[in-house]
Amino acid sequence: MIGAIFKGLGTTLKYLFRKPVTVEYPDVKRPVRERFRGRHQLKRFANGLERCIGCSLCAAACPADAILVVPAENDPAAPHSPGERYAARYEINMLRCIYCGYCEDACPTNAIVLEHQYEISFYDRKSSVLTKTELLVAPDRGHGEIPPILQQLNRRPSPPAQIDL
Amino acid sequence: MPDVTLVINGQTVTVPAGTNIVDAARAAGVAIPVFCYHPRLPPVGMCRMCLVEVWTPRVDPATRQVVIGDDGKPVMALMMGKLQPGCVTPVSDGMEVRTATEKVHVAQKGQLEFLLTSHPLDCPVCDKGGECPLQNLTMQFGPSTSRFDYGDKIHFEKPIPLGDLIYLDRERCILCSRCVRFQDELAGDPVLGFDHRGRAWEIISKSDPPFDSKFSGNTTDICPVGALTSADFRFKARVWEVRPTASICPHCPVGCNLSLDMRHDKLMRVMPRENDYVNEIWICDKGRFGMRFIESADRLRHPLIRKGDSLVPAPWDEAIALVAEKLSQIREHAGAASLGGLAGPELPNEDLYLFQKLVRQTLGSPNLDCSTGASGAPEVVDLAATLGVGRGTNLAKSGAGTAVLIMGADPEEEAPLYVLRLRGIVARGGDLTVINPYPTKLERSAARSIRPHAGFEAFAALALVKAVLDQGLIATEFVTARVQGLDELTARLREQSVESLCETAGVSEASVRAAAQAFATAEHAIIIYGRAALAAGEDVLRALTDLALLTGKAGRPGSGVIALLPGGNARGALDMGVHPGAGSRRGMGAREMWAAARDGRLRGMIIAGMDPARDNPAIAAALDALEFVVVQDIFLTETAQRADVVLPTASIAGREGTFTNAERRVQRFRQARIPEYNTPAGWEVMQRIARALPPGRSESVTDARPVAGRRAQRASGATATATMDAPPATWDYAVASDVADEIAATVRGYAGTTYASLGLTRAPEWGRQPDEAVYYDGTSYQNAEGIGIQIAATADDPKTVFALRARVPAPFTRHATRPYLLLAVTRAYDGGEWGRESKLRSRMVPPHVILSVADAAAHSVAPGAIVRLESDAGRIELPVQIEVTLPQGLVLIPDVCGTPLSTIQTGPQTWVAISRVA
Ligand code: SF4
Ligand code: SF4
Ligand code: SF4
Ligand code: SF4
Ligand code: FES
Repeated sequence: MIGAIFKGLGTTLKYLFRKPVTVEYPDVKRPVRERFRGRHQLKRFANGLERCIGCSLCAAACPADAILVVPAENDPAAPHSPGERYAARYEINMLRCIYCGYCEDACPTNAIVLEHQYEISFYDRKSSVLTKTELLVAPDRGHGEIPPILQQLNRRPSPPAQIDL
Repeated sequence: MPDVTLVINGQTVTVPAGTNIVDAARAAGVAIPVFCYHPRLPPVGMCRMCLVEVWTPRVDPATRQVVIGDDGKPVMALMMGKLQPGCVTPVSDGMEVRTATEKVHVAQKGQLEFLLTSHPLDCPVCDKGGECPLQNLTMQFGPSTSRFDYGDKIHFEKPIPLGDLIYLDRERCILCSRCVRFQDELAGDPVLGFDHRGRAWEIISKSDPPFDSKFSGNTTDICPVGALTSADFRFKARVWEVRPTASICPHCPVGCNLSLDMRHDKLMRVMPRENDYVNEIWICDKGRFGMRFIESADRLRHPLIRKGDSLVPAPWDEAIALVAEKLSQIREHAGAASLGGLAGPELPNEDLYLFQKLVRQTLGSPNLDCSTGASGAPEVVDLAATLGVGRGTNLAKSGAGTAVLIMGADPEEEAPLYVLRLRGIVARGGDLTVINPYPTKLERSAARSIRPHAGFEAFAALALVKAVLDQGLIATEFVTARVQGLDELTARLREQSVESLCETAGVSEASVRAAAQAFATAEHAIIIYGRAALAAGEDVLRALTDLALLTGKAGRPGSGVIALLPGGNARGALDMGVHPGAGSRRGMGAREMWAAARDGRLRGMIIAGMDPARDNPAIAAALDALEFVVVQDIFLTETAQRADVVLPTASIAGREGTFTNAERRVQRFRQARIPEYNTPAGWEVMQRIARALPPGRSESVTDARPVAGRRAQRASGATATATMDAPPATWDYAVASDVADEIAATVRGYAGTTYASLGLTRAPEWGRQPDEAVYYDGTSYQNAEGIGIQIAATADDPKTVFALRARVPAPFTRHATRPYLLLAVTRAYDGGEWGRESKLRSRMVPPHVILSVADAAAHSVAPGAIVRLESDAGRIELPVQIEVTLPQGLVLIPDVCGTPLSTIQTGPQTWVAISRVA
């Protein structure tokens, strides 16, 4: 009984002289694992076109019903995405999302990707719904290859035939 | 036909001889994958997806005897030593079919691998994705990889419009010819075809305008891939995201079962719902593409009250209070008979019933009608309620042994889906006669087409009756038991001969005799009449009635009379008593009401869902002469613009209700969305008005005359007799089904048509089987919401007795100075309010007049030239179109929006003179 108490106190004493493991967040940010699943991004191709073709497969795969896609037809003169179809509306409700990554798996163009950002907080529920404007990366941040994060997963590109990477 | 017994995957099944293997397998519950075959289309064997092993008993070539093996059983041999396409191989006795062997699987895999070599695999952006047979069969039977190079895929320009309604994506087409066969064999509009060959083989439209068919939307359903997609649903949503809601098409008397596919309370697309009694698995383009009006931005949102010259929005309470105040004021001062009510024949039964109750019982006025009362509108003669088609009729099953007689109707325009139904009857061996004063498309499918001179239709109809009498084609048993006045009829017609009647009508005696023969000797026979018959007058319908009675073609399933009345729910309107003859006191009909309005006898009107003032200055003036007009509608129509109070209502998407179709089938539609702009249903508006009215004298609607009595029915050809018990005087309906319950309790024949029992009606034998996704994926929806209840016609009661009333028409004389007979003809795409926001807008024609080649030449007018038409009533000027097959002397004006028909028509048939203007 007494012995157990001293054993416990001994552990405390030992850690008292060790270097603390606490990370001084937010001054210090720990790097995440490569396959960490954080806030989503909608990617672009190298030529700046949106990768998302508005197919709703991510929404269909989502177990939390967090995604809303409303498709529309591309204007051939000023297309949003390659091919005929794009997402006129794309929204993810981050309060519903369980960060399972199924949407990423379902996406035929590797458009939706769970990136490494994990600082996601809101002052009201409305702003938890990220819209296309917030999700879409800047036009100059596109790439022809599959998004870097997915390359580690050895993901094969599987674009619809109309989309040349 | 003798039955054939065969074995499929070890199961023994017996099917009629001539059945193909795929259908035999369906009967056994075995699904054989198919692409080009469809149970509703004739087979061609183009795709080879249905390859199966077919074993037949070996026959010794020398003795022609089945070879019996050592075990005493016949020795089986693989038919022709290889796999056989199941869809084009008929079954034979002793056959054994194996659909799941290794060999078959290899064939199926190979077949799919080939199909996919030239398929773009753009399922993610394809509107068919999710209900695509190619997707589904590839998942079920296909290979997981392909040996073909992805880069070798054949590419075409992405979708090309095949008309304004349908897109063709040639890369996706698997050249199964379902679309071509549907158009050729079912729709009878052979406007699609194949072009080129080999890898460049493609579907093209051969017509101008392209894909000119009223049934084009159906090809997007039966196309087993996403090659044909609808422009209306293009990229609106994925098919699994929509919420299908059971609905009924309000546009024509067929009453097709629809599904309104909603997403986020918005209409994404319209799809057919299976109902063999009504529309099989098809709908016409008017139903499919003509529903966008429900979301039109022009919809009325608030009640409007007239303040001086303008209508200003007002709260509901104020508007209703004003209506109640004004109506009761008029009733106090001028009596209830100075009030009148008109309700449109597109409204659901619930609205019509409460409208009738409000006007007749609560307000106490017998003046009710469901017709506009325009000068050219024919009197509605309603044989469908008395003779009707027998209860239990299923046109999808009628075929050999059924004769159909079309008299004065153009089903393609008046009730498009009947074209498919009637062509189906012909394809199954039925007989079709078309009698119409002007050419119609259905003639091409008819065994004989009889073209009486316009105005002389009654003589042609009487010639049929006379031919039946002459040729001894009377159904003696039926006539003795249920028909009176045969001797009188014979006496009336003694002076007539078929020959002279035919000569007067300008038709060939031989074909009339043949038609009479076919009609009388067929086991079942159906008469369909429409606008031209109504325009020709009552004598035609008396003759038609007698034709059906003399030949015993009434009161039993598969026989009778179908009326194509204007408006989707004209049947319901008449049954609900929205016509002047329905009460104990006969009231004024629409035409009398307008006259009474002009001379001040009518002071106030309530008009629901009807636009009589459209293109009709006379009616507009009559409306203006009224003291108070309240209009209930979904758009600010011309009539509504002249109202003192306008009350908005929900469209059929925003409420529930029932319609009764031409074959007297009561069908329920569900609420698809929250009401647009929170508008109430029409019946609710009626209830609000009724509740706000101060109590006054009321009139019972009980019919004084016996209805379906044992006595000879004097009025078998007149407008329907009242068929209603007195409704309770209370107004406390919480939901639509309360109204339906009251209808079921008071309207005779409607007993049992409550929502609960309508929802329980199930397809008997033809309903889709659980394993039939292979055949029906992407086509219509299964009917899980009830197939409706067909109410009885008077003739269905074996005790009713009918009187023969045909008479010799008064000699028909031509006008001395106006040599042309003008008929107004219905156009399905008439430019009405239903077409708002619809892709069909481009198919709607501007007002024009149709002349025959000879008449156009006589006035030396070319198409597009303007002619002046002059009648006793007035004159109008219209551009000309020339119709090659139109008989000389006949002038047609399509009844489309913007045509000032009322200016010129003196009646349903009008004598006119033509002169060239420019
Ligand atoms: S990560 Fe999972 S839960 Fe979140 S949006 Fe994607 S599929 Fe839905
Ligand atoms: S993110 Fe990907 S899966 Fe989602 S709609 Fe866009 S393309 Fe389709
Ligand atoms: S037709 Fe079917 S298989 Fe072809 S792209 Fe469309 S959904 Fe996919
Ligand atoms: S368009 Fe569709 S229905 Fe027509 S042939 Fe091609 S795949 Fe068959
Ligand atoms: S060949 Fe039989 S289904 Fe196409």
